[in-house]
Amino acid sequence: MANRTDPAAKSIRGTNPQNLVEKIVRSKIYQNTYWKEQCFGLTAETLVDKAMELDHIGGTYGGNRKPTPFMCLVMKMLQIQPEKDIVVEFIKNDDYKYVRVLGAFYLRLTGIDSDIYRYLEPLYNDYRKVRRKSPDGNFMLTHVDEVIDELLTRDYSCDIALPRIKKRWTLESLGVLDARKSVLEDDFEEEEEKDEMEQDGLEEEVAHEKDYYRARSPARERERDWRRDSHRHRDWDYDRDRDYDRERGRGRDRERDRDRDRDRDRDRYRLREEKEYGYERERDREREGRERDRRDRERGRRRSHSRSRSRERKRHGRSSMSPRRHEAEDGNAPEESKKKGKKEKKEKKDDGTDHPDPEIAEANRIRASLGLKPLKL
Amino acid sequence: MIEVVLNDRLGKKVRVKCNDDDTIGDLKKLVAAQTGTRADKIRIQKWYTVYKDHITLKITRSTTEDMGFEYAEVHYSSIYELGRDYG
Repeated sequence: MANRTDPAAKSIRGTNPQNLVEKIVRSKIYQNTYWKEQCFGLTAETLVDKAMELDHIGGTYGGNRKPTPFMCLVMKMLQIQPEKDIVVEFIKNDDYKYVRVLGAFYLRLTGIDSDIYRYLEPLYNDYRKVRRKSPDGNFMLTHVDEVIDELLTRDYSCDIALPRIKKRWTLESLGVLDARKSVLEDDFEEEEEKDEMEQDGLEEEVAHEKDYYRARSPARERERDWRRDSHRHRDWDYDRDRDYDRERGRGRDRERDRDRDRDRDRDRYRLREEKEYGYERERDREREGRERDRRDRERGRRRSHSRSRSRERKRHGRSSMSPRRHEAEDGNAPEESKKKGKKEKKEKKDDGTDHPDPEIAEANRIRASLGLKPLKL
Repeated sequence: MIEVVLNDRLGKKVRVKCNDDDTIGDLKKLVAAQTGTRADKIRIQKWYTVYKDHITLKITRSTTEDMGFEYAEVHYSSIYELGRDYG
């Protein structure tokens, strides 16, 4: 029958291979029309044809939790259990990226740990775009290497629980795998040398205060692009914001050193006017670095995602610490106090989180965090 | 502001305050915040009418005035019955 596993198939992890997909998702797949029409009597060869027709990946979507064709094909592969060579062929093929992702997914479900790392890590170099169906039915953009990273680091993907595999460093310490060598390592070393040279060039531009920020950011944006491509280190936690990672990575320490050198010269004169010398200098350098990052981030995004207008205004107020503020300090003082007054009034109106009734305030706080308007009373 | 009661027939009963122009999708998010399930795993229905995400509560209210509670099959995605206790 269509839903029975091939009797010659091996059991995976002690159970019917189809049981890797949990019961409810499995029944959704069996009831799906794509499964019934297209996946009947598929063999390894005809499966390749179907896989080439794929144009998106994804798990279940919509109110009814409808499975995507990708999932149906994964299920079919679990049912017929193609040979490892065939799966490796799927992964090695370069023309059809969805076939590649399908093979990678199947290998992740059924392969042994060392095989998984060995075959999936080369796919990190594939930067092609991939369409992904999100659970609410819309499409999202992602990339092949992002999908592979998800397979290797998460334990749930496309509504299928991925079996546990050993961590990479465990396998390295066992001697089964070699230490990870990134393909971009050579590029990265070249970049480090380039950075050293850049550093000398940039320090000359510091003299002009007005042009300081403008001159710095194009170079910084360029560096940011380089760093983005080279810092594809697997052990990072991609949950965190990507920009934040970019700033916080290896490059950041180097930059801070460079900034510190530059700042020490520039700020020595300015800061002595306002505050005490030694302790404050450290703090301001830190804050400046952070604010510059924040400013850069804002610049890059050009849109503040914070709903509260007050938070935005505060952000601008603080981040004008550097050159601009020191020039126009007197004019800013009355403006800032006016802004503060407006800020407090806006908070009362917008969020409703300071409603006298604590229950309603709590509900409004939850709504604000979800992006909904406050309760109408 | 209305208060909606949702019951998953397995012991979770949840009262959620919301506006009547909130959609079912928003309601799912609020329920998820309160119960801890993921919002996209929640299915909200009244008897066998499954409500889609874009429907507003005002509409569900007007079309289902007299339906009482009925048993609903619970799958892995939590199914909540909309109660009639509109505050």
